[in-house]
Amino acid sequence: MSLMPFAPSRPLSIGVELELQLLGCNDYNLVSSAPDMLRRIAKYPHPGDVKPEMTRSMIEINTSVQQEYGGLVEELRSLRKVVSDAGRFLNVAVAGGGTHPFQHWSEQKIFDAPRFHHLSELYGYLAKQFTIFGQHVHIGCTGPDEALHLMHMLSRYVPHFIALSASSPFVQGHDTGFASARLNSVFSFPLSGRAPFVLSWNGFEQFFDKMTTTGVVESMKDFYWDIRPKPEFGTIEVRVCDTPLTVEIAAAIACYIQAVSRYIMVEQRAAPQEDDYLVYTFNRFQACRFGLEGVFIDPCTHEQRSIREDITGMLARISAHAMELRAGEAMERVREILAAGNGTSWLRQTYAREHNLGDVMQLQAALWMGN
Amino acid sequence: MTWSTYLPLWPLSVPPALWLALTLVVAVLVGEALVRYLKLPRIVGYIAIGLLLGPGGFSLIPQLPAAEWRLVVDLALGILLFELGSKVNLRWLKANPWIAGTSLLESITTFFVVYGLLLWFDTAGVTAAVVATIAIATSPAIVVRTVTESRAQGQVTDRLLLMTALNCIYAVIFHKLAVALMHGETGAGLMHSVLQPLYLIGGSALLAWLFGITFERIHHHLGQHEETFSFVLFGMIAFATIMASTLKLSPILVLLAAGLITRYRRQRSRTFPPHFGSAGAVLVVLMFIANGLAADLNGLRESALLVLLLIMVRAIAKLSSVLALAHYSGIGLRQAMALGIALVPMSSVALLLTLDTGATFPAFASGLGLALMSCIVILELAGPIVVQMALGAAGETPEKKT
Repeated sequence: MSLMPFAPSRPLSIGVELELQLLGCNDYNLVSSAPDMLRRIAKYPHPGDVKPEMTRSMIEINTSVQQEYGGLVEELRSLRKVVSDAGRFLNVAVAGGGTHPFQHWSEQKIFDAPRFHHLSELYGYLAKQFTIFGQHVHIGCTGPDEALHLMHMLSRYVPHFIALSASSPFVQGHDTGFASARLNSVFSFPLSGRAPFVLSWNGFEQFFDKMTTTGVVESMKDFYWDIRPKPEFGTIEVRVCDTPLTVEIAAAIACYIQAVSRYIMVEQRAAPQEDDYLVYTFNRFQACRFGLEGVFIDPCTHEQRSIREDITGMLARISAHAMELRAGEAMERVREILAAGNGTSWLRQTYAREHNLGDVMQLQAALWMGN
Repeated sequence: MTWSTYLPLWPLSVPPALWLALTLVVAVLVGEALVRYLKLPRIVGYIAIGLLLGPGGFSLIPQLPAAEWRLVVDLALGILLFELGSKVNLRWLKANPWIAGTSLLESITTFFVVYGLLLWFDTAGVTAAVVATIAIATSPAIVVRTVTESRAQGQVTDRLLLMTALNCIYAVIFHKLAVALMHGETGAGLMHSVLQPLYLIGGSALLAWLFGITFERIHHHLGQHEETFSFVLFGMIAFATIMASTLKLSPILVLLAAGLITRYRRQRSRTFPPHFGSAGAVLVVLMFIANGLAADLNGLRESALLVLLLIMVRAIAKLSSVLALAHYSGIGLRQAMALGIALVPMSSVALLLTLDTGATFPAFASGLGLALMSCIVILELAGPIVVQMALGAAGETPEKKT
């Protein structure tokens, strides 16, 4: 199967996918209620889409194509309402966050669909360990070469997106010490990491054909890259974020990515350098491990600063673009995260107060459902 | 000094408790064998061993005075009822009124089909009503125990727990009403027939509320010390049970309501170890053995047809009611089938209500009570298997390790 042609899309349009946790209301452990939830949600008209995911304790909500923060946050709120109402009707709590703090992966059940069964057979326990919850952000691009340019230029800012959205410190009942432990699960997949350094769509098609000939991959879905092109939508898809604890933060982070993309498209036309990737894994690790406190090494100047400082600098550089995109409120929320901390700080503070991960999960669900 | 001063006399005269201890060992071993080789729930083994070795079977264990057992049964049932109540979220009924509707429908239907069947068998109206109220209750003991053992979770499990708690409450209240009517028939004044149920409901609710508040207070201070906490809890449950009996209230109602109230008032979710710790688990095992020992299948000899029909119409009533409202309450056909079937088991609650009725009206104990007992024994043995299969078919038990 060869690669689909790149469908053009409106530049800088955005779409958000959020993977959500489904929880039982007695112990706040994951509960395999996705089929019940989807059946219930299908009865009510709603914007966007609600879909099954790999295991039956997760569902995914997708927004339609949006242009700016106002429309995006509104659509996410109405999706949240539909999902929360279905949850209350079925005694199921719904929460954000990148990991469930004490679920046991072996108790997860694979959703009954051919693709998920295939993946489960291929990846074995990795598929069930993939019970992690991420936010994917699509950014529209006029053409394929522009998409590849944006993808490689955005890589510099991947630590920003990780640190801002990080909300998965707890795994299997313990504090991992990571701000985003979720990404550690992604790294164990064979085709994770960054996309190859190819700058033209022709070159990318050749790479894809070579990979399919080897039999390693069948479609773009088999690449678990941090950022990957999505030709059928005409977008690039940023996949490093944890699902934040509220839809408002999810929308704000999506719009931060949108504003950074506009800055790149308008001001940074020079081609990316392969050497920019020398610091990539180091920076990304720092973001996963230490969040906003992580060390950021500038790929051009090799200066060191904290990720928080680098985001602060970036907010100043993109303020005109954010203004143009009417993302003022979104940037304000990003500033709040820099000051008050990300989801991981909230989770750690809550755990320090409650001493019980079940209670943390209950409060996390209450926060997401807005009750 | 003679032989007899330090050697036991032959033949040995052993206290009955020795056979009980042995029964406990055998029952637990048989239970494990059932799980391992037949994939059947453990409690089937406990009940079956009690039944086989007890007076109802080969009579290897001498009849024990009921009072000695009663405390164990009351305490274990109290633990299970409180556990059931504390797993049930009453707020769910507000978010999904169709579940309340399903619960009412299945209980009313069960009452009337059983009542109708008994009238057709020429039973007196009041007696038929008493049996029909007992038939409403699903066994909380079997449901809680099987759900715990199979580690089930999901819509069917949640609804099964909720509907079991609700139909036990209806059963106890309407049973008292029916018994009051029976009293009315045997010559007591109308006023007492009305006041008694009122006293029962009000008094039980008050005691349950006090229990709930005390429980929360103690949990707040002792909750982290699981073992200490479980001991205090058992003391409280025993106290509430005996207090309820002394005040002529219903221990079943008090402990179930106490669990529900605690869960309803609580800000944070709490998970307790199964049966509030291993001591509770031992009591639960003993209770199932005791139920087996108390089992009486003599009713089958005279009224096998009635027993069979009772079981069938009761099951059909519960299943069809759940199926009728399944779509509106948000579950699929397969889940509704599973839920309807899982509501069938009868055990301790029905047993205690039957025994209590029989104690007040000896004619009942030797008549229709016997048929009802046989019905309970059969549904007690089959119950755990049925619930386990239903939860498995609904996809709510963990997938088998491959």
